[in-house]
Amino acid sequence: MAFEVRSEMAGIVDAIEKGVGDSVSEGDEVIILSSMKMEIPVEAPVAGRIAVMHVEVGQTIGEQHLLFSVET
Amino acid sequence: MTDERQPRADLDAVLKARAALHDQARPEAVARQHARGRWTVRQALSALADPDSFVEYGGLTRPVIDGMQGAADGLVMGTARIDGRPVDLVMYDYTVHGGSQSYLNHHKLCRMFAHAAKLKLPVVSWLDGGGARPQDGAPGRRLAPETFVLFAQLSGVVPTVGIVPSRAFAGHANLAGMCDCLIGIEGSALGLGGPPLVAAAMGVTMTPEEIGPLQAHAKAGVIDVVARDEAEAIQAARRYLSYFQPWQGPVEAPDPLALRDVVPENRRRAYEVRRVIEGLCDVESFMEMRRDFARSIVTGFARIDGRPLGIVANQPRHMAGAIDSQAAEKAARFAQICDAFGLPVLLLCDTPGLMVGPESERSGIVRRSARLLTALANARVPLMTVVLRKAYGLGFYIMGSQALRPAVLLAWPGAEYGGMGLEGAVEIAHGRALAAIDDEAVREARRAELLAEMQHAGSALETAARFLYDDVIDPAETRARLSLTMDTFPDTRDLPPRRGWIEPY
Repeated sequence: MAFEVRSEMAGIVDAIEKGVGDSVSEGDEVIILSSMKMEIPVEAPVAGRIAVMHVEVGQTIGEQHLLFSVET
Repeated sequence: MTDERQPRADLDAVLKARAALHDQARPEAVARQHARGRWTVRQALSALADPDSFVEYGGLTRPVIDGMQGAADGLVMGTARIDGRPVDLVMYDYTVHGGSQSYLNHHKLCRMFAHAAKLKLPVVSWLDGGGARPQDGAPGRRLAPETFVLFAQLSGVVPTVGIVPSRAFAGHANLAGMCDCLIGIEGSALGLGGPPLVAAAMGVTMTPEEIGPLQAHAKAGVIDVVARDEAEAIQAARRYLSYFQPWQGPVEAPDPLALRDVVPENRRRAYEVRRVIEGLCDVESFMEMRRDFARSIVTGFARIDGRPLGIVANQPRHMAGAIDSQAAEKAARFAQICDAFGLPVLLLCDTPGLMVGPESERSGIVRRSARLLTALANARVPLMTVVLRKAYGLGFYIMGSQALRPAVLLAWPGAEYGGMGLEGAVEIAHGRALAAIDDEAVREARRAELLAEMQHAGSALETAARFLYDDVIDPAETRARLSLTMDTFPDTRDLPPRRGWIEPY
């Protein structure tokens, strides 16, 4: 089953810490967003494998933008 | 009262009339409601009230129109206990003319609201219906009912909870809009004007769910709590009321050491402030209000060592915890609820300040932020402050600084203080001197140096040396400190009477 993770806020993709195929545990930081001069980690909601990465570093995103999906 | 004899004719008639109110006697109505995937009002009543505690008022009323049928005229109401505490319940029955507000059930509501005011009983409302019953609206039959005025007058006198189980429009929405806590079930709809009014005014045909979907109301701060179904909504209502009475249940303390690592060392790194709340309060005791609205501030009720309190916390994950107009209003109203019913307020401060800029000004931040300051400045209940990290500008002033005379003002080791944002402060204090430095590299090095000096001056220990805080503490001992502080609080019955003030906005 795939879990899609969306951005809770607008910002810029600062760093991507996990790539497609990487396995993740629940709570692992996958993406760091930058917003209001703060680094906001986006975590894996479940344990699994990163199936799709929808964004790249430097990309500006809006609220509810699809970030990545985790395959359990 | 087992009596084998056939009741006398007069008693028999009464018993039959009362039996006719219950679901067993109304299979068609029950089937209709279940076909909609919804509970009947009597089912909801059974889940809400403690067993055998409900005393019905006006159950024998029927519609005033000759020949029109309708159990209890569409409103089930009475006294009951919820987790042992007495309450008044008013619950519309959707199976009786769509839960409509009738001539008589307005009278019933007025009776119950006046009853609640006199006996100081919380009111739980089940708001299932679409406003007035047209058949009852003939000229001369109904003057403006006092229902809404009486309910408005209960504000701040007793806790009021509303549940929107499917559709609440017009008069039902008026009541919803005045509840302290409004709980909505997913898929339900709420609005001042339903489809006929929208069609007449705007010329478009829409369903109730298109006009006022629940999720839109959750984001707008109209709905306080979203529930998946009836059982969860009723559980939320019971839980909300639990904060306004002594806690009788078990108390489990969280792992105190978890708090040491919630705030990251990297000062630019955001974190989830709800983890701080979880680390401070009794396990599972936190109930968040308006989670989807004004997300840069978190508000909710919780308990520490079994004692209820309200919590207002900046959320660094959203807008870095800046207080915008909506956040200020969300927190202001929450603080008013706490003050009205004697709950101390814990302020967890991590804010870069109030939101600045033209967009924020257009939103009315000057007035709306003043609402929060006014609410806290006039609160009778004790405040407690913990500075988790950033404490800047008017944002910190409002989030429990010394001027508000909190019962205790604590800071964590990473606390950063500044009368304003430090980058701006460097520019104001040293801008001219910096501009005089021609070499850019030298200028920026000097700027960084000045910034570092200010950061040092604003650090937890340096500011504590100037008595900005009562103490700087190990995050792991925060809960124990707050609990000891709460030991010093007066009984809420000894609070002075509430004073009215003018809302700045």
